[in-house]
This record gives sequence, C-alpha cells and structure tokens, in this order.
Amino acid sequence: MEQALVLRDVRKSFGTTKAVDGITLTVPRGALYGVIGPNGAGKTTCIRMIMSILFPDSGELSVLGRRSSLDAKDRIGYLPEERGVYRKMKVGAFLTYMAQLKGVSAEDAEARVPTLLESMALPGTENKRCEDLSKGMLQRVQFIAAVIHQPDLLILDEPFSGQDPVSVRLLRERIEHEHRRGATVLLSTHVMANAEEMCQHVVMIHQGRKVLDESMLGLRRQFDTRTIHFEPLDANADPSPLQAVPGVERLDRHEDSFTITLSDGVDPAGAIGRLAMAVAPARVELARLRLEDVFIRIVAEGATGGDAARALRASLLAPGAEGALV
Amino acid sequence: MRRVWLVASREFMAAVANRGFVIGLLIMPAIFAGLFTLMPRLMNRPGEQIRAEVRVIDSTGQIFEGLRTALSPDAIARRRLDTTKRVLESTPEAVRDVAGSSAETAMDRALGTAPALTVVERPASADLQHEKSWLTEARPASAPRRLLVVVHPNAVVPKAGNEYGTYDIYVPENTDERIETTFYDGFRESALSARVRAQQMDRAQVEAVMRIPRATSTTVALDAERRTDVRFNRALPFVFAGLLVFGIMIGGQTLLTQTIEEKSSRVIEVLLSAVSPLELMAGKILGQMAVSMLVLALYILIGLALLSSFAMLGLLDPLLIVYLIVFFLVGYLVFASVFAAVGAAVNEMREAQSLMTPIMLALMAPWFFAAPIGRDPDTAFSIAMSLIPPVNTFAMMVRLASSTPPPFWQVALSIAIGLGSALAAMWFAAKVFKVGLLLHGKPPTLGTLIKWAKMA
Repeated sequence: MEQALVLRDVRKSFGTTKAVDGITLTVPRGALYGVIGPNGAGKTTCIRMIMSILFPDSGELSVLGRRSSLDAKDRIGYLPEERGVYRKMKVGAFLTYMAQLKGVSAEDAEARVPTLLESMALPGTENKRCEDLSKGMLQRVQFIAAVIHQPDLLILDEPFSGQDPVSVRLLRERIEHEHRRGATVLLSTHVMANAEEMCQHVVMIHQGRKVLDESMLGLRRQFDTRTIHFEPLDANADPSPLQAVPGVERLDRHEDSFTITLSDGVDPAGAIGRLAMAVAPARVELARLRLEDVFIRIVAEGATGGDAARALRASLLAPGAEGALV
Repeated sequence: MRRVWLVASREFMAAVANRGFVIGLLIMPAIFAGLFTLMPRLMNRPGEQIRAEVRVIDSTGQIFEGLRTALSPDAIARRRLDTTKRVLESTPEAVRDVAGSSAETAMDRALGTAPALTVVERPASADLQHEKSWLTEARPASAPRRLLVVVHPNAVVPKAGNEYGTYDIYVPENTDERIETTFYDGFRESALSARVRAQQMDRAQVEAVMRIPRATSTTVALDAERRTDVRFNRALPFVFAGLLVFGIMIGGQTLLTQTIEEKSSRVIEVLLSAVSPLELMAGKILGQMAVSMLVLALYILIGLALLSSFAMLGLLDPLLIVYLIVFFLVGYLVFASVFAAVGAAVNEMREAQSLMTPIMLALMAPWFFAAPIGRDPDTAFSIAMSLIPPVNTFAMMVRLASSTPPPFWQVALSIAIGLGSALAAMWFAAKVFKVGLLLHGKPPTLGTLIKWAKMA
C-alpha cells in the first residue's frame, strides 16, 4: 500500500524490437524518482505503460495500489513527452477542460487557473488563445494541466526539454512544490544535471533494461570521495612530489593535469592540503559523481543485462577509470 | 460517461462557436442565391446586342414576308413575353404571387438582350454555291454576323403523306447559337401561319384546339385530400437524400479534421491521460452529431418556412422528417465511426485521401441511384439497395420520399441493418482508434487498419 508504483518484470515489444525488456521497479509514496537513459532506451514506453496508454505484453503493474492507472486516472498528473494544446482554445478554457476531465468541478477549476498561471509566470493569459503563446509558455501551460487537479502521482516525461534556463528553474521549483505538497513524482530526463540536483533516487534504463536503481545519497557515498583532479600552475612541473604525498595510491597523467586516486580511508580534505603544498596548483578539486558520466559509460560500453549495474560500479571504482569521471 | 459528455460538449462548442461555422452555415444558401442571380447575367452580357444579316432563299414564296414580320424587334419582344408568361404559369401559384410583377423583369433579364436580325430575300433561282461563298468572305468585326437559309419547297404545302419540310441553315464558323434560336422561333411563327392559311383554317382556332392546360392533381388519403404536385414529388427523394448526405458530411468531415489535428498537435496524449480512447471517440462522435443535427435542423426549418410561405406545406408528409432524423442518426453513426478511425490512423489530411476514397464513393452513391429508385421504388434493385449497408440508409430514405413508400417491415429491417452496421463500424473504429492515436509513422493502408482491428 505504501508503494505509489510497482512494476514487476514488465515487457513490451513493437514487432521485433524489444522496447522494454523485463523492468522491475518500485517507487514508494512521496518519493521523487528520476528515470534517466539515452534516447530510445524505453523510458517513454515504460511511462506509457504506467499510464495505461500502452499495455505490457507480460508482467505486472500497480499504480497507486490499483491494477491499472485507468482506475486512478483522476489522481495522476501526466505530462507526456509529446505534448500539445488545442491551438484555437483559450488558455483558461483549456486548463478548465483538462481539470474537469480529471474530475475537478468547473468552479474549482476556474478558481485555480489564475493562481496557477501566476505561479508559472504566465499572469493574465487566461483569455489568450493557445496559438498566441510562445513555445516555452505553452510548455508551462501544459505543466499546469498536469497538476491542476492536485494529483497524488505526478509523471513527467522529459519536462525540461525545449526549455530556457529560466523556465527550467521555474519548473524545478514547481515540481519540488508539488513534491512538498505530498505528490509522488516520477520524471524522466536526459538533462542529467537536473536529475542530479532534484531527484532522491535515480533509475537508469538502457536498451529496455534497468541498469541502475540507486538513491542519490547512496551513489555519492560510493563514488565521490576518492578521486582528485589536480592541475599544476606550471605545466612542466615535476609530478613526483605528488606521488610521494601520503595517502596517494595512484597518479595518472593527462594533457596538463593529473587524476589522483587516494587510498581507502584517507581524508580527502587533508590530502588536498598536502598535495597543494607539494606542487603549486592552478586547480585542485574533488571529483564529484556526475550522472552524465555514469550515463555515458553505460551507453559507450553498451552495458546490458542484470550484471550491468555491478559491472558499471566496478568499472567506476577501478583505477584508471577516471576518464569517465572527468 | 461524465468524460464522454465533457469531450462531446467541447467538440460541439469548438465547432459551433467560431466564425467559420457561421460562414459555413450560410455559404450553401449563399452559393445557390449567387448562382441564380449571377448566372443569367453572366450568360447574357447585357447591353451587347448581337446583330446578324440573314439571307433567305424562299422557293415557296409564302414564308419570307411572314418571316420579316416575325423577326421584327417588336415581334421578338412579344414572343419573349409569351415565353415568360408560359414559364410563370407553370410555376406554383404561390411562387407567382410572391414573385409578382418583378418575375417578368427577372425572366426578361434571364433571357438576355434579344438579337437583332435583318432578313434579306434572295431570288429562288440564286446559285447556292455562290451564296455560300458570301459566308466565308472576310467580315469587319463591327459588321453583322451572317446566315444563309434555304427554305424547303414543301415547307408550307406538304408532299404526299403530310410530309412538311423545314429549312437548311448555313453559317460561318463561330456563329452565336442565339441567332439560330431566334431565327427558328421566327420561322416557326411564319411557317405555321402560312401552313394554316394554305389549309384555309383559322390560326387562333387551331391553337385553341391544341391547348390542354396542366391538370391539378389531388392525393386522396383516408383522412384528408392533399393537393399533389408532380414536380414536387419528383424532387422530394433527391432533397431528402441530399439532406441526409449533407448532414453526415458535415459531422464526418469535422470529425476527421479534428482528430487529425489532435494527433498532429500532439494534444492527444495529454487527453489520453485523462480519458480512455473509447471515451474520447464516443465523445467526439456525439459532439459532432450534435453539430450536424443543429445544421440539419436549421435547414429543415428553412425548408419548412419556405414551403409554408408558398402555402405548400401540405405537400409534405411530416412523418418523412421523423424518418430523416432516424436515418440520419443511423447513417451518421456508421460513417462517423469510419471517419474517426481514418482520422486516428493518419498523420495529416493528405494521407487521409486514399483511405477516404471508398467512403466518399459510398456517400456519392445516392446521386446515382436517387433517380432510378425514386422513380421505381419497388424494384428488386431498389429493395436490395435499401438493405445493403452502408448505402441502405440513403436508399431507404429515397424510397420513403418517393410516391410509393415501402412497407413498414422493410423500413424497420433497414433501420435494424443500419444499427447493426453502426455497431460493427464503431467496434472497428474503436480498435483502430486505440492503436492508431499514438502512432506517427508512414501512412497506413486499409490492410493495416484491418490488421490493427484484429490486433487490438
């Protein structure tokens, strides 16, 4: 009952293409999940099956405790990747219509529209026709259409695509607002920076399979403490003092910088100080885990199968794999 | 059901509450009105009178003098007035009362400016070849056009066996047909008088003997007697078949374009998160049905108002309108489902064309069979057509509007068959709708659609 979303070995093929090849996933209530993966990975197919727009060939699905999202439509907010509006309709009328379809009374819907438009920096656009709005503005209108009925589960397929930075920030604020309100949020994106900063938990899909299912906290704990990027002030400086610093396990030379791997249990703060003393630095920084690196590594290696995540983690942890983390 | 209702009302409002709809509603009557007022003016450029010189070789010697009189401007004007009166006489009384005296000027305008003909007599002994060469001589543009007429020797007095002759006419290239028509009228006048004279009879008497006024016809029913009008009855099947097709076309076409627009504007997936494909389709079909009904009701009201203003309301059996609505509903459901399926299957209007061809042919069918069925509503062909979907609704409507309405069991059977095919069409459309809505690929063929229906 506490799960907002459960997928058990869900499969879907189109002709000979296996779009989703056995995905199992659990999203607890109140969570903020990010689904990442390259184009064609199966994210949208997965989401469409969750929305009962497509139906799985096999496997089980439960949405908000129901067997099908059709039974819970009014409690789900959905922003599809391919989204549009009725071009000739007025913004206010369109939003009211969508809200009514989701079971909100006409009066309530009309009352909510102005506030929501204001919150999305679209004040006073109720009486404009949709076709008179810019593309970015329409994206925000579509987001309002997904949340106007205050859903328990919010599913956003590529919410940030085609948005300028200001809109992205606004949208993030609103998504976090919905999350604080108590909604479970599942969003797919390939803008990794957004997923990194917003999501509590990341699921990576590649070639129809789940290759990663991990909380951001867990990911950071595992990946982010042992690698340091070091760029000497003098590009021709002798690197041997660096190698001699206590706690340095390995030193890899790049064009004009070094990647330093620390031994287990070494305090990175102390190590950075010692390294800076050894060679005058232009730049010293602790390498942080970037989802983008994980993403690129999986795509590049074509990692699939159940062992993929383990293999990936191993490759990320292995010395000499830092190239992927730069 | 609440969602179906919401979708239907949105569809209805989107279709009705815009300028395009009002314009579309008025465009048909406007086109007809325009045609009726403009066409005669276009056909007869006013002010430009055609002049012609007609050379006549009259071997009878009895026609030319009469011809000169009959082709004088006065005589031509008088004949045209007679024609006008005759035409007006054959129109229903009420129309004449409404049109009043303006009808005569209208007719006059419709006939255009009368050609001016100058007749010149050539001797009976004139050489035909020589006379013909006159036609091919170069003629200045401002000079009158030329005609050569040779009257047959037996044009006035018959040869053995009452065989009367007429005349041969020789014209250069590019002759105006109105000159020949005008000449024929004049010749007829003159030749008739000459023939009657030759038989020593009185022209007025002969004409009186020949005239039989148009009969009034009355339909006798059990409850009442109703005046009938042959032409009205003949037109009725066409009018009703036309209304039926027209009503279906309005809703069907909008359904098609709206569905394609929802697909191409990508609003469809947003909608599908709130309503199921079936609810969406049902709502759309219902909404457009309401639009079609509105238009149909409006045209029926206009038609009834016209009939009543011409005091011809009694000619129409009110039951026909009830049947029109019933058959509209049945026929609409069949065709609208298919229109919706096609709309859901294609990505843009252009791709819809090939799938629409068979549907459009079915919708055109009434124009081909309305005449034979309207005339003989009880033949095997008529009965078969009124039972075969999807044209059964049209054929049955034509039969109902004809002079011999079909037995009730056939009407009921046709409605039942129509409802059955409506269910089948909706089942098919629902399947295609479910599969097609989110597919944006190469345009499907009829075969693909059937595959989808089996698959879903």
